[in-house]
Amino acid sequence: MGQAPWRLELVRVGAVPPAVLRETAKLLEPLLRWPIHLPAGELDGAPALDAARRQYSAARMLDLLVAAPPGEGVKRVGVTPLDLFLPVFTHLYGYAQMGGQAAVVSTFRIRPENGQPPGLLLQRTAKEVLHELGHTMGLVHCTAPWCAMHPSRWPEEIDLKDMAYCPPCASVVVGH
Amino acid sequence: MSTRISAPRLLIVDDELHVRESLSRWFIEDGYEVDAVPDAKEALAALGRRNYDVVITDIKMPGMDGLELQRRIREVNPKAAIVLITAYASVSTAVQALKDGAYDYVTKPFDPEALSRVVAKACERMRLEEENTRLKERLEASTPELVVGKSPAMQKVMGLVEAVAGTDTTVLIRGESGTGKELVTRLIHSRSKRCFGPFVAVNCGALPEGVLESELFGHEKGSFTGAAGRHKGKLELADGGTLFLDEIGEISPKVQVELLRALEDRKITRVGGTQEVPVDFRVICATNKDLEEAVRAGTFREDLYYRINIFTITIPPLRDRPEDILPIAQHFLQRFAQSMGRKVTGFAPEAQELLRRHPWPGNIRELANAVERALVVCREGEVHREHLPISSLSGGGPVEHESATSLPLEEIERRHILRVLDAQGFNISRSARILGIDRVTLYNKIKRYNIERRA
Repeated sequence: MGQAPWRLELVRVGAVPPAVLRETAKLLEPLLRWPIHLPAGELDGAPALDAARRQYSAARMLDLLVAAPPGEGVKRVGVTPLDLFLPVFTHLYGYAQMGGQAAVVSTFRIRPENGQPPGLLLQRTAKEVLHELGHTMGLVHCTAPWCAMHPSRWPEEIDLKDMAYCPPCASVVVGH
Repeated sequence: MSTRISAPRLLIVDDELHVRESLSRWFIEDGYEVDAVPDAKEALAALGRRNYDVVITDIKMPGMDGLELQRRIREVNPKAAIVLITAYASVSTAVQALKDGAYDYVTKPFDPEALSRVVAKACERMRLEEENTRLKERLEASTPELVVGKSPAMQKVMGLVEAVAGTDTTVLIRGESGTGKELVTRLIHSRSKRCFGPFVAVNCGALPEGVLESELFGHEKGSFTGAAGRHKGKLELADGGTLFLDEIGEISPKVQVELLRALEDRKITRVGGTQEVPVDFRVICATNKDLEEAVRAGTFREDLYYRINIFTITIPPLRDRPEDILPIAQHFLQRFAQSMGRKVTGFAPEAQELLRRHPWPGNIRELANAVERALVVCREGEVHREHLPISSLSGGGPVEHESATSLPLEEIERRHILRVLDAQGFNISRSARILGIDRVTLYNKIKRYNIERRA
């Protein structure tokens, strides 16, 4: 079997427990069939802080992620507990370079509420990583409601999606 | 063809680069086709090049602000939904914009969900409005046989319509005024693969040369006195649909040259402009003129004649298919009775006889007018002879067609027009209405028959 053409790096940005990324990687591996690398240490998200908004700039966060270029065939996705924004938007769950190499996913607004199973955070995080990863592969939002590339405007909508791409989206991401 | 199969098109107008970039990215991810420009001037240029479903514009911009831009957009792309971006401080301005017809406004920074919802709803409304227009057009054209008739002559016409509708072939429709040439054109459009595209009709005989040129090809701002803004021509508006050029025989040699070029190259240049705009439409022309004679006389270009005379449908006048008169009259009777709230049951035998014997120089249009006016005076029961305006309209002796059997038809028409004009003190509008023809046709006939006002 030949080597997979793509590799995924899951990077901790800010104080994300390492276990969250390990478990997320376990959920993604069987689906992506890409090697997933979890670099040691964490990236400091502080330079992306906007003091006036008390939020973190998603665009700046991507700059931080690619400050050290990921290298050929690598897609780098940051996972952060920090609240992301863009100047025109109140908040974002994730942000990606369309057809690029980097993306970032925030767990700040997708944390389960009281009474919801704690494992839900891992499920939501993994689905958001799939979603942003799809954008780095050039995919736009998908109309299939169960596809990971379907847009989610609130956390419960993430729960409605499967941990999978629909066949056309999968052919772009996994078909390589 | 540019019918609504492609992704909705958005135009983002904001002087701040990060806003343009963020919004473009957001909506591209949502599957929209997005263009972004920094100011109103470039926005108007973009709107001149193509149509957009939704324009998202900032209110506060240097130069022309969002409100002024909104007014200008209404001129060049009236169907586009406009969503305004505002800061909290200018909400009152945004409210004013809503009163002026903007679709909605959003305040910075946006909740991504709210913004997507607003734009999706605006696109949905655009789609529904477009669909509504197309369906109305299709509905209007869905029962043409009732209006055009079921005689063998018209069955033959319908056969030709069916044969040519599914193709993209240029069609020339010939027939006297009032025979239903536009109706047949609409029928071809409604049964063609362009049926969900626009149907754009231009009466070439109704406009002077300069106006017709601007009407067909559009104009750029300042290209002539009164050209206050950019104006899209009918050829551009027909993109993706059908262009109906009525009275094609009336256009001037200069416009003939430009039209021929546009039909051959499928590109137009607006009056006063330099940029070529690609256009994609099917052409259907109509005339009641002897085009062959016009070509021989040198008033109609031979190359344009061959370009439009590919497939000809000739609609016979109503007098040549008398069996169609009563069914068509009955159709109009039902339609007008319903709209006017009359309890009219039908035509009395003597009224039917009168309808059958009248020569109907204004064809179906004249018949429709006669029935409508009959229903104004007849409130219930049957329509009788005295309800019909035919005898009074012909000045007491209906066009002399009973006694003047040796006269050529044209002479009868000339005399009848003269009588009506005399009776109406040469008031063109009133006379045209009575004759059941439009004013331009009446002017043409006055010119053709050399009719002069009697002292």
